Amino acid sequence: MTEFKERRIVYTAEDLRKRVAEMGLQISADYAGKELVVVGVLKGSLYFFADLTRAIDIPIGIDVIAIGTIPNTTKQTGVVCITKDLDLDITGKHVLVVEDIIRTGLTTAYLVQNLDARRPAGIKVCSLLVNPAQQLINIPIAYLGYEINDAWLIGYGMDVHERGRSLPYIAELDRR
Amino acid sequence: MLSGCLIRIPAITVGIHDAQGGVPLAILTISRQIGSLGDEIAEALSRKLDWEQINRNQLIQRFFANNTDTREQHLLNESAKFYLTQSRAAGTYLDELERSLFALAQKQSAILVGFGSQIIFEGNKDALHIRIVAPEKVRISRIRRQFRVSESEAVRILETADKKHKRFVSTVYGADLSDFSLYDLTLNTASLSVDECVAAILAIQQEHNERLKIEKESEQSESIDHQSDLPVFKNPSEAEFARILDMYQIDWKYEPKTFPVEWDAEGNVTLAFSPDFYLTKFDTYLELTTMNQKYVTGKNRKMKKVRDLYPGTNIKIVYKKDFYSLVERFNMGSDSYEGDTK
Repeated sequence: MTEFKERRIVYTAEDLRKRVAEMGLQISADYAGKELVVVGVLKGSLYFFADLTRAIDIPIGIDVIAIGTIPNTTKQTGVVCITKDLDLDITGKHVLVVEDIIRTGLTTAYLVQNLDARRPAGIKVCSLLVNPAQQLINIPIAYLGYEINDAWLIGYGMDVHERGRSLPYIAELDRR
Repeated sequence: MLSGCLIRIPAITVGIHDAQGGVPLAILTISRQIGSLGDEIAEALSRKLDWEQINRNQLIQRFFANNTDTREQHLLNESAKFYLTQSRAAGTYLDELERSLFALAQKQSAILVGFGSQIIFEGNKDALHIRIVAPEKVRISRIRRQFRVSESEAVRILETADKKHKRFVSTVYGADLSDFSLYDLTLNTASLSVDECVAAILAIQQEHNERLKIEKESEQSESIDHQSDLPVFKNPSEAEFARILDMYQIDWKYEPKTFPVEWDAEGNVTLAFSPDFYLTKFDTYLELTTMNQKYVTGKNRKMKKVRDLYPGTNIKIVYKKDFYSLVERFNMGSDSYEGDTK
């Protein structure tokens, strides 16, 4: 079992509740009268997605998608793939992809390209956290919770080897 | 200093852009044999790209309906030689046709079917020339089905059409329709479906547009385009990073461009920066660095100069720790890795 030591709480449960409510309000205003499907990216966005969708007060469809990486077995190959696809048809609908954190942006780029091929009316990205210094691909983030630095974070869906996801707050880890 | 790689300076070309100078426009010319499915392919391309499809009849209606009488229109339809005679405007009908087509290409993208348009737009980098062919036996069979005629009748239709097409291109342009060098891509529909041909044309058209974009940017700035160089990775890390981009299905080009950033008093380039990767769909240059921090500082300095000297250029450094994080992710195979994976 992986042990970790929290250094400090970065965002309390109350901080998160307030920020997510603000984001939900903004999304509700922007998508009023439009057919919106909110897509949560598993597993990291689990809690954020649950809170955000409940903070949106317009009718929406909700769905989840999961992306996995199959490791390289031959040193030459490795595959990024969708391990759980959408159940809803997004053709002609507005799609909001909900991420917990965007670092390099490679995963988000892969996902947006994949969903875009299904001809939705539009795709926007919502992320609770982003590390601009680490971002390699400029995916426009329409709705953003907080900008972060290189800190190791845990909680509110984010894990270290599957530990710590269920913490109601986001904490920075001690790197020792 | 400039790296040792080969640098190709592109020829200066006049590009086609829309009226606002924004999204570049493009022309696809389709030369097709009768019974080759060329018309069906042009039709499907027109639908997919939402570009207007213009064949010879439409062209005559569009460009000559108002300034020719019925007899002249009939001759434009039937006689190749007539194109070389004096029109009511300046020059021949061919001159008028070329002027009208160039003007059209400045305003919109289009699919031009037949009438030797591949020769009118020969050498124009914004135009791709496609030839659709099929074996005679296949074409005869298709003509029989299409026109509900006997085999001998189908053979006659085929021979007449081929002769007419050949004569038109030869008379009007002095060219040989079957000259392979007139075409960027030739597709044989004996065993390729319309959908397969359309997919191939769309793929080459997209790739061509991306290459042209960099080439044109280079013409408008001091940067140097060398996309025709073969991608030879300088170290294993670059090859590994290319594989990672492939895994994410992110299209890339390797060192497509060099940005001069310092010049001596005589204007000679003394310092240049060639970012390792260009992500075509995200308009982003990436420089990979797996070396010591002291070299990274130099790269950061060059990168800043590129941003200052070439405004609007989106360029980033992939730092050692981020690169190894990505590599490790695939080696670990865990979906809980602290990074972008979820």
